[in-house]
Amino acid sequence: MTTSLDFAKSNSQRFEDELIAFLKIPSISTDSAFNPQVREAANWLLAEFERIGLSTELIEMEGHHPIVYAEWLGAGEDSKTVLFYGHYDVQPAVMEDGWETNPFEPIRKDDGFLYARGATDDKGQFFTHVKAVESLLQADNLPVNVKFIIEGEEESGGEAISKYVKEHGEKLSADVCIISDTSMQDIDNPVIINALRGGITFEMTVIGPKQDLHSGMFGGTVHNPAQALAEIITKLHNDDGSVAVAGFYDDVLELTEEERTEIAQVQWDNVDWSEATGAPVPWGEEQYTLLERIGARPTLEITGIASGYYGEGSKSIVPHKAVAKISCRLVANQTPDDIEKKVIKFIEKLSPPTIKVEVKKLRAGALPALIATNIPEMRVAITAYENGWGATPIFKREGGSIPIVSDLQSVLGLPVIMMGFGLNSDNLHGPNERFSLQMFHKGIATSIHFMQEIATLPSIEATEQ
Amino acid sequence: MTQSHTYAQEHHEIFTERFIELVKIKSISTDPAFKDDVKLAADWILGRMSSIGLDAEAITLPEGRHPVVLGTWNGAGSDAKTVIVYCHYDVQPAVIADGWHTDPFDPVIQDGKLIARGATDSKVHVMAWLSAVESLIASEELKVNIKLLFEGEEESGSETIGALIQQFPEKVSADIAVISDGIIRSPEQPALIYGLRGIITMEVHVDGPQKDLHSGHFGGTVHNPAQAIAEIVAQLHDADGRVTVPTFYDDVAILDDDERALLAESDESITQEWQDVANAPKQWGEPDYTIHERIGARPTLEINGIHGGYTGDGFKTVLPAHAFAKISCRLVPNQDPQRVMQAVQDYILQIAPDTVKISFVRVESEAPAIRLDYTGQAMQAAFHAYQKGWGVDPVFERAGGSVPITHEMLTITENLAIMGFSYKGGGAHGPNENIPLQMFYNGIDTAIYFLQDIATNEG
Repeated sequence: MTTSLDFAKSNSQRFEDELIAFLKIPSISTDSAFNPQVREAANWLLAEFERIGLSTELIEMEGHHPIVYAEWLGAGEDSKTVLFYGHYDVQPAVMEDGWETNPFEPIRKDDGFLYARGATDDKGQFFTHVKAVESLLQADNLPVNVKFIIEGEEESGGEAISKYVKEHGEKLSADVCIISDTSMQDIDNPVIINALRGGITFEMTVIGPKQDLHSGMFGGTVHNPAQALAEIITKLHNDDGSVAVAGFYDDVLELTEEERTEIAQVQWDNVDWSEATGAPVPWGEEQYTLLERIGARPTLEITGIASGYYGEGSKSIVPHKAVAKISCRLVANQTPDDIEKKVIKFIEKLSPPTIKVEVKKLRAGALPALIATNIPEMRVAITAYENGWGATPIFKREGGSIPIVSDLQSVLGLPVIMMGFGLNSDNLHGPNERFSLQMFHKGIATSIHFMQEIATLPSIEATEQ
Repeated sequence: MTQSHTYAQEHHEIFTERFIELVKIKSISTDPAFKDDVKLAADWILGRMSSIGLDAEAITLPEGRHPVVLGTWNGAGSDAKTVIVYCHYDVQPAVIADGWHTDPFDPVIQDGKLIARGATDSKVHVMAWLSAVESLIASEELKVNIKLLFEGEEESGSETIGALIQQFPEKVSADIAVISDGIIRSPEQPALIYGLRGIITMEVHVDGPQKDLHSGHFGGTVHNPAQAIAEIVAQLHDADGRVTVPTFYDDVAILDDDERALLAESDESITQEWQDVANAPKQWGEPDYTIHERIGARPTLEINGIHGGYTGDGFKTVLPAHAFAKISCRLVPNQDPQRVMQAVQDYILQIAPDTVKISFVRVESEAPAIRLDYTGQAMQAAFHAYQKGWGVDPVFERAGGSVPITHEMLTITENLAIMGFSYKGGGAHGPNENIPLQMFYNGIDTAIYFLQDIATNEG
C-alpha cells in the first residue's frame, strides 16, 4: 500500500519540475493570439499521459480548443472507474497587472508557494491526479480504471466539453468523477464543495409609446415604460425577500436539520459578509442564514436595468422602452426549463394593458448540482483526506455555477466530488497566482488514497441489493 | 381688409423672395463653425429693419455670443402703446444625410410649401413680423411703437437675450409682449397657448455594495440596487397614475368649469395627436381628467431615464453596486419648484430601505409653471387677430412643455401672448423642414391685425 506513496515522495522534486514545464506554456484560451500555445499545452499533456502509460486521444471540435482525453482500463471491467475532469487553459496574465515575476516563468519562493499563471487554476490542481495515477502505476498498484477529460476552454465558455459530454457520454462512463478546481480558507480545513447553484438568464423589455416622447407634450397620458418596468420588477419579490414568481419554490429541496448543521460549519458570518460586500446591512430571506441563502436558496436578480436617457445632464423624455436583464440562480431540484416557463408566465400576467412586455431567455440555462454528503463515495473522499491530507474536510455549498459539474452529474449520472486543493488566497485570475507546493503533494497523496479506497467499495448494484 | 393688408398681399412675391434669402443663410447657432453665418443673418435682418424705417442694432452679451437684433420704431409717439415682439433667427444643424430630399440650405417650393432648414423654426415668424411692420409703416397705419427683438441663439442657450433683458430693461421696456414661435393645432386651426408647465429635474442614486459583485457568490444576501431603484420608482405613483408624494398636489390650482369647457374644445384633436405620435397600447393617467387636462393642467412625475448594472449585449452575472434614475416633474400653477423638489426627495428618503444608500443630484435649475391671462389685452388681441387672419376662431390651449424665454419676457410685461404661425408637420429640428406659404401669409395678416387691435382697443 505504501509503495505508490513512497514513489510520490521520492519523485516529488521531479513532479514539481514537470508542473513547472507545463506552467511555462501560456495556454490562454480567451485570446486567439495564443491558440498555438493552447495547442502546445494540449500536446504536452498528451505526451505526459502517454509517458506514464495511458492511451490518449486529442478530441478536436470545429472552432474550439482541443480536449485532451486519456484512459487506463487495466484494472478490468469489474473494477471501479474514476473520471477526472480538469482544464489546461489559463486566464490572461501580463506583468503590468501587478505580477512580481513573469507569470509564465514559474518560480518557487521561500514561502513554499509556486508562482505562475495557472498554478492553482487549474494546471497544478488537476496535475495532482496525473501524478497520483503515475505513482500507482509505477508501484504496479492502480486498483481502478481511470479516465481523464481535460478541456482547453474553461476560461472562455466551456462549450465544447458540454457538447462532448452530452454526445459521447458512454465514453466517459465511470463510477465517480473527481474535480479539483476549488479552494479552501486554510490548509488545515479542507473543503469539499457539495452544491453549486444553476442558473438561467432573461431579458425583459417593456414597450410603451412608439417612440421617445417629449415629456412635456405627453407626460401624464402615457404609462412610462421605465416606471412600468420598475412596477413589474417590484412585484417579482415579496416583502420578505423571497421570489414572488408563482411556483418558484415548488421543487426546491428544503434543508434538513443535518444539512443546516453542516452548512453552519463553514466559518463565515455577517462580519465576513460586510467585509466582502461593503453593503449597509444584509438583505434576503431572514429565516435562512447568509450561507444558506447563498448556497441553498434560489434567487432572482436584476443584473441590469436601462431606459431612456442616462448620460450627462437631462433630457425630458418619456422613453419608448425599458429593458432589464434578470438572472435566476437555481438550487436542487429546480430546472432551468421549468423556471423559464414560470418566470415568463408570471411576468406576462403582471403586464398592464398600457404597455407591452416581452421576456426572452438569454442563453441556455444550467442545472443546479447537489451531491449528497452521505453517499459512500463521499465517505471515501473524507477518509482519503484524513489519510492523505491529514485533516477532515467540511462540506460547503457554493452560490456560483460550474456548468460542467451539473452536466457530468445529470448527463452521466455520476456523483461528482469537488476535491479542491487550492487556497482562497491563491489569486486565481489575478496577479501573482500561486499554488502551495505542500498542498500539491498532499493532493497527490489524497488522490492516491482515494483511488485505493474507492476500489474496495462494493458496487452500487450490490449495495442496493 | 386694411391698406396694410392690401400692401402685404401685393408684396407676397417679394416677401417670399426675402424669406428665401434668409433661409439660405446657415445661421446654425449650435456649431461654432457657423458663427460667421449667424452674423450674416443678423446683418441681413439689420439691413431689412433699417430699410423699412426701424432703428436697428445688434447686441452681443457677453462678447463672443451670437447677436440679438433689436429694431425700434417710436413713430406712434410717446402716448401710444409699445409692443415688443420676440422671434429667433438661428436654426438647428442640418445635413442632407439626415434624410433631406433637398439641400436644407438651398430652398425649394413644392406643393405650396417652402422647404428649408429654419422655414418653420423659426424664420417664418421673423419674416411675418418684418413683413407686417413694413406693410403697416408703408401704409401709415402703424399706431403703436414697435420693438422687434430677434435672438440668434435660441437653439444654444439664449445667454445674450437673458443678459440684455436683465441689464438693459429700458431697451426692451414695453406695454405688450408677443413671443412668436412654435406651432398651432393644424395649418387650418390656430391656437393660443395660455399655460405652460414648469419643470424640476433630479437624479436619484442608489448605492449598495462597494463594488459590483458576482451574482452567484452573493445573490440572495444583498439588496440589489437595480431592484431597489425599481422598488422606489414603483412607489411614486398609485394604481390610478396619481403621484403618491405627500403634498405633491397641495398647491395645484383647481380647474373651474369654464376652463374645463375651454380646454374641452381641443381635446379631440389632442387625442388624435396622441394616437399619431404617442400611440402607446392604451392611454394612461389620472382618470378624473381629460387628456388635454392631464397634459396641460396636471403635474406629473416622469422617469426620463434609469440605469444600473450591465445592459450591453449578452449577459454579465453582476450584482450591481449602483443604480440611478433621472426624474423630472412637470409643474402647474401654483406649485413651487423648490417645495416640490423637497417633497419628492423627502418621500424617497422616507420609503427607501436601510439596505441601500440614497443620494440626490440636482441636474438643472428649475422653472415654475406659467399661466397667462387669456382675458388680458395681449391675448384678446391675438384672439381677434387669428380670427381675422385665419378666418377661424383659435382654440385656447394649455401646453405640457415649457418655452424658457417666456420667463424672461414676463419680466418685461405680464401682458403677453404666444403667437405661433407654424405647424406640427413643419418638421422642426428634423429633415425636410417646411412651411406652407399660406401659413406665412396668414401670419403676416394676423400680425398686422394684432398690432392694429392693440392700437384701437383698450385692454
